[in-house]
Amino acid sequence: MSDEARDIVGDYRYGFHDEDKSIIRFDNGLSEQIVRDISAIKNEPEWMTDIRVKAYHHFVEREMPKWGNPEILNDIDFEAITYFLRSTDATEDDWKDVPEDIQNTFDKVGLREAENTWLGGITAQYDSEAVYHSIREDLESQGVIFLDMDSGLREHPELVKKYFGKVVPHSDNKFAALNTAVWSGGSFLYIPKGVHVEMPVQAYFRINAENMGQFERTLILADEGSSVHYIEGCTAPSYASTALHSAVVELIAMDGAKIRYSTIQNWSNNVLNLVTKRAHAMKNSTVEWIDSNIGSGLTMKYPAILLKGEGSHAEVVSVAYAGENQHQDTGAKVHHLAANTTSNIVSKSISKDGGRSTYRGLLQVTPKAHNCRSKIVCDALMLDQDSRSDTYPTMEIGNSSADLEHEASVSKVSGDQLFYLMSRGFNEQEAMGLIVNGFFDPFTRELPSDYAVEMNKLLNIKMEGSIG
Amino acid sequence: MSHPPRAKHLWRYTPWPRIRPQEGVPTADKIVFTVNENIDLESGAPRVVLESDIARVFLSEIGGSSHTLHIDGDVGLVHIQARASGHVVAGHLHIECKGKSTVILHLTGEADWSGLYVSGEVSDNCKLAYGFVNELSNDCKLLHCEDWLVGRDATMEIAALSVGGFRSKSDIRTTLSGGGSTLKQAITVHGLGARHIDNHIEIDHKVANCFSKLVINSACAGSSRSIATGLLKVAKGANGTDAGQVFRNLLLSDKARADSIPELEVLADEVKAAHGAASAPVNPEQVHYLMSRGISPQHAEALIVEGFLIDAFSCLDDLDLKNVLATRMTVHLECELMR
Repeated sequence: MSDEARDIVGDYRYGFHDEDKSIIRFDNGLSEQIVRDISAIKNEPEWMTDIRVKAYHHFVEREMPKWGNPEILNDIDFEAITYFLRSTDATEDDWKDVPEDIQNTFDKVGLREAENTWLGGITAQYDSEAVYHSIREDLESQGVIFLDMDSGLREHPELVKKYFGKVVPHSDNKFAALNTAVWSGGSFLYIPKGVHVEMPVQAYFRINAENMGQFERTLILADEGSSVHYIEGCTAPSYASTALHSAVVELIAMDGAKIRYSTIQNWSNNVLNLVTKRAHAMKNSTVEWIDSNIGSGLTMKYPAILLKGEGSHAEVVSVAYAGENQHQDTGAKVHHLAANTTSNIVSKSISKDGGRSTYRGLLQVTPKAHNCRSKIVCDALMLDQDSRSDTYPTMEIGNSSADLEHEASVSKVSGDQLFYLMSRGFNEQEAMGLIVNGFFDPFTRELPSDYAVEMNKLLNIKMEGSIG
Repeated sequence: MSHPPRAKHLWRYTPWPRIRPQEGVPTADKIVFTVNENIDLESGAPRVVLESDIARVFLSEIGGSSHTLHIDGDVGLVHIQARASGHVVAGHLHIECKGKSTVILHLTGEADWSGLYVSGEVSDNCKLAYGFVNELSNDCKLLHCEDWLVGRDATMEIAALSVGGFRSKSDIRTTLSGGGSTLKQAITVHGLGARHIDNHIEIDHKVANCFSKLVINSACAGSSRSIATGLLKVAKGANGTDAGQVFRNLLLSDKARADSIPELEVLADEVKAAHGAASAPVNPEQVHYLMSRGISPQHAEALIVEGFLIDAFSCLDDLDLKNVLATRMTVHLECELMR
């Protein structure tokens, strides 16, 4: 890592990078031709090329958002970004066939170990495309389809055509349009009726090259009565220049299905993380976003759930850590569109060393959504006087039977709590670590145990130096 | 000035074209202010304009009447009647409090469009309890802005009762600029018919050791809509801040709507800042309880609504202010019940 990069990203554990050995790398910059070239190089059907081109024109015309962090957004130089880079010839299903340096990278981030012990399937994406993919045979035999998105489009074009862009249309926002124009990689997951995927499946997204844009597209379909837990993790090298990550994730939970989508976002601070994540929940289904944002310079992410079917349920547990040079603008959106729907949102954030954390949320109850219930809790911890915490919740209530609660608080770690722990023999640093881990407990207890342990370690590293 | 974008909460629900009287800047007639016999209203008021806010610039340019009320010493209860009659009317009232007083501003009349700007300053160690009652006729439109400055160890209480008008937008901003200052603010909204009531409240903790509490209770019937947006700002270095905001909505019909946006911007760490928002229908158990005591369902609901709305004033200390507004609320609800 260069000194300049270290100044920007600080002490970041995953800041190493491999030598760029890409076999195809497009010139920096974006044009209709680049969009068409991406589609051509993937041999996509014409309808997908048309969607990409349409989305590109929408991206060009669409204004940059005026909220969030307009200063950083307006500084993005879209012409300095590489929109497509291919690192390997194919997506392999045996690690032996993956280039050694890429293997080593995924070893270092702990992915291969997790695959061997408790994951049901895995997709490892390196820059623009997946380099490795696997799924347990027993899942495959039950009809579970788990592919990288490019393979999904090739092998199941009818399913992709039916659902692609139906949850997040390209016209949704500027970055959804950008993603739709230049998407590459991501996951395609289909769970057949009644199938319960007991072991989580995971995608890991790694940016390696400098000035890279990663635009993966994920589509998860859980058919009636099925269930799945999908986990995504992400890291990137520490460069002085800015990288852009702009993903779109679409989830559809059919009647009685359950999707849990967990994210551990740990990009380096030079990455701008501007993603759109949204789910449709049908009758009696459940969608859960378990979302952590520890890394990146700027994250703007508001996982959304449209409760379209009667009796459906939404759950969002979101934690954010904003350290030096970080702005975590995160939140959740829940739209109650049908009767007897329920939602629960818990948001926790910590601001430290001048970091800024923002909760931005929307809770909407439409006139037809009778007997809805919702509870939102936002708590923020401020660890020093240079930091900042904002809360921008919106509640739009259009039905008189709705029962809604929202509460938020901003405070610092209580001296009494520190004193109590220190009187039991912990030093100040350890006491602070325990309090912070406890603060994030609603999130970590929703994770598989290995991830929870890793998350706590990560937080302890982030908290180093927070005392004295 | 160009129209403010709807991306900002301030203008999302009541866009500028829906609340201005007409295109351009008309010349307004005067709102007529009258006050207790023993008090004088001085003609003219200091021009205080927040250049970035279109509503304040508009109210400053449109003309109308302007008066200043000086409070020196313990003045007691002051009633100010503001009469809005005509097509487009406007007025500016400035209050300089260098003592202690309770001031109630009653806005009445049947003007098509009223623009009211109230500004004021509570000097160090002084106390002002201020109440605003919107009693305009049912087809009036109101644009209403207030700016308050609260000095060191001063106390300001603000209460607002909105029971009149067809469409109103209120933007009340208070700056706690002196250490140890206190603000208690209570707003009640009773939406009937197709009323549209938009309240935007900003409280700015500029310095350390200040206290603020805001309670907004809205009860909406018919196809009315209540919008409450709040922004609580705690400036860098404003340690020892203790600030809380509570937004409650009671929806009384299927077509009523309520939107709540309680925002926090905190740049200091030694603070207690919290907000809460809740929305629920009338509890059927409460209605059942009252009916079992021989009260009709309509009266039972009216009692519950009255209790809910008046509860907002419980955060205030000034008895005159609480009594006047609670009485006015009760009269309003009884009139509605008899219709």
